[in-house]
Amino acid sequence: MDILSNFGDGLLIALQPYNLLYCFIGVFLGTFIGVLPGIGSMAAISMILPLTFYLEPTSALVMIAGVYYGAEYGGSIASILMNIPGTPSSSITCIDGYPMARDGRAGVALFASAIASFGGGIIGMVVMALLAPVLAALALNFGPTEYFAVILLGLVAASAVSNGSPVKGVATVVAGLMLGTIGVDITTGAERFTMGIPELRDGVNLVIVAMGLFGVGELIVSIRANSGGAPKNRIDYANFYPNRAEWKAMFGPILRGGGIGSFFGALPGTGQTVASAIAYAVEKKLSPNRGRFGKGAIEGVAVPESANNSATQTAFIPTLTLGVPGSASMALVIGALMIHGVTPGPRLLIDHADLFWGLVASFLVGNLLLLVLNIPMIGLWVRLLQIPYKYMYPTIIVLICIGVYSVNNNVFDIWLTLAFGWAGYLMRLFRFEPAPLLIGFVLGPMMEEQLRRAMLLSRGDPTVFLTRPISGVLIMITAALLVYSFGAALKSRRHARQSARLTH
Amino acid sequence: MSNLQRQSPRDLEAARAPRAWLGALGGVGLLALSLVFIWGGIGLGLGAPRRLGTGAFPVITGCALAALSVAIIVIDLRDTSAAERPDWMSFAAIGAALAAFAIVADWFGLIPAVFATTVVASLPDPTLPILGKLILGLVVSLGCWGLFIGLLDLPLQAFKGF
Repeated sequence: MDILSNFGDGLLIALQPYNLLYCFIGVFLGTFIGVLPGIGSMAAISMILPLTFYLEPTSALVMIAGVYYGAEYGGSIASILMNIPGTPSSSITCIDGYPMARDGRAGVALFASAIASFGGGIIGMVVMALLAPVLAALALNFGPTEYFAVILLGLVAASAVSNGSPVKGVATVVAGLMLGTIGVDITTGAERFTMGIPELRDGVNLVIVAMGLFGVGELIVSIRANSGGAPKNRIDYANFYPNRAEWKAMFGPILRGGGIGSFFGALPGTGQTVASAIAYAVEKKLSPNRGRFGKGAIEGVAVPESANNSATQTAFIPTLTLGVPGSASMALVIGALMIHGVTPGPRLLIDHADLFWGLVASFLVGNLLLLVLNIPMIGLWVRLLQIPYKYMYPTIIVLICIGVYSVNNNVFDIWLTLAFGWAGYLMRLFRFEPAPLLIGFVLGPMMEEQLRRAMLLSRGDPTVFLTRPISGVLIMITAALLVYSFGAALKSRRHARQSARLTH
Repeated sequence: MSNLQRQSPRDLEAARAPRAWLGALGGVGLLALSLVFIWGGIGLGLGAPRRLGTGAFPVITGCALAALSVAIIVIDLRDTSAAERPDWMSFAAIGAALAAFAIVADWFGLIPAVFATTVVASLPDPTLPILGKLILGLVVSLGCWGLFIGLLDLPLQAFKGF
């Protein structure tokens, strides 16, 4: 009953006209940016982040969440119409979405994607409302030792399980931790690695790191990728709604996708891409029509979209209740909250219950807005995809510059964004994932603080991390995860080498 | 005559996919970064286990990164698979666009900076003539003026030094 009354209170907050407006702006801008191929939700959130500094914490979070799931949905539009995933997680939607579009059923595929996203979002919201208070209550007993272990697990999960080499993932996360130490040490007041530059005394701004690594970095990659232009797609509005059989075929996959997505979204490190891929694989196994998968099955669009959107919502569970983000986007959410003076963690549900429940309720409102906004606006998004990229990318770079410049009115921030942008591009070129760097950067100061506290309380005994039961178990899980990831990577390298030898 | 024979050595070099061992360069960069942090951290003071000093965390993370960087260098040097081809033109153009914004905004204000950034960013596109680039710069500048100064009233100076 508590949950229902809290949710009711949250709904009143989410339905406040200004929150409704920011939710709408967030969903609209998120979809707008997400539609652009190659520009994902990370870049979208980074671009919007400076605007949220002027808002109340609840409105800021509602807007960021709107941008997040709006961008995820926008990514699906590019996947279905162009076979170019706007976001990595929507790449699974390409498998059946694009064949549907080629068969002249683009409208039905887009409608199915909108409905499935809505269904998945609602399932994710319910899971979040039920699970987050339980996890927060459990985490109230955590001391610095347990917090350190949770952060360590989150970092390893986000880096080792992510795409690409686990060694590079862990190295990048450690580099992020190091970058987080730049600035004045809050315990001793000593300056660290500022090189005498006064602008670095407060550390490197989160907006700069995010805009550089994701905004500028992704933009450089996208210029060549989009130089070919978009293929023309005509949407037949008469053939827009699924027929009765298609509605029936979608129902089960939406529920299953939502369930699977909720589970994987709440786990640090896995995120929407893994959730969509697993949900698609499960659905293909369960479906009596598995032969149609990959050839334009409506279930193949519904299931990854539902999983993707529910994972987007449940990713907020560890982020808000433990203060440990499972992905780079969630690291930005934590950063945004901290800028507003709100510390994520188990006390958030007690000290800022209005913010938490307002956000949960805004998921309902935002997903409804997404549905209402996107069904009549699909034509607009299609036309947006037709605008030559040569006009789009100079405009995007200008928006990035203004976003960074508006934070401190200081051009030093632009130079730093340039450095991070180039670093982001080189990282992609050298096969390093930039996302773990951001997670490490956000969690670095928190991790250092908890380490110092834990060592002080244990009188300098480092074995405390293993002897306290919760932290001991978490450290063991972390070690097992590391061993598993490195083992799996070694195995796949050996496989690749063997198959290369066989082909020669 | 095959296509390959007709290409000049320079074309062939350009067509050859860069090797993944280039990633080892990333490892070298990370190794250098870790050494800077270890060196700097030791200078700041490590403290004692009970009361960790200002430099303790940078040294711990620096050591971890140094070990991982060496592993990356070793792994990537043995890797010969094809990697993504760099797009140095876009890399340079976007860098120059940001630099243009930083310089022009400091001297002349936001709107001239937006114009310069748009024009510089669009330079590598051969399909857009110079007049088109200038018109695009003008349109984006006017749009930004209307949106950020007129509508959102952000505390940014539209023009400086005029």
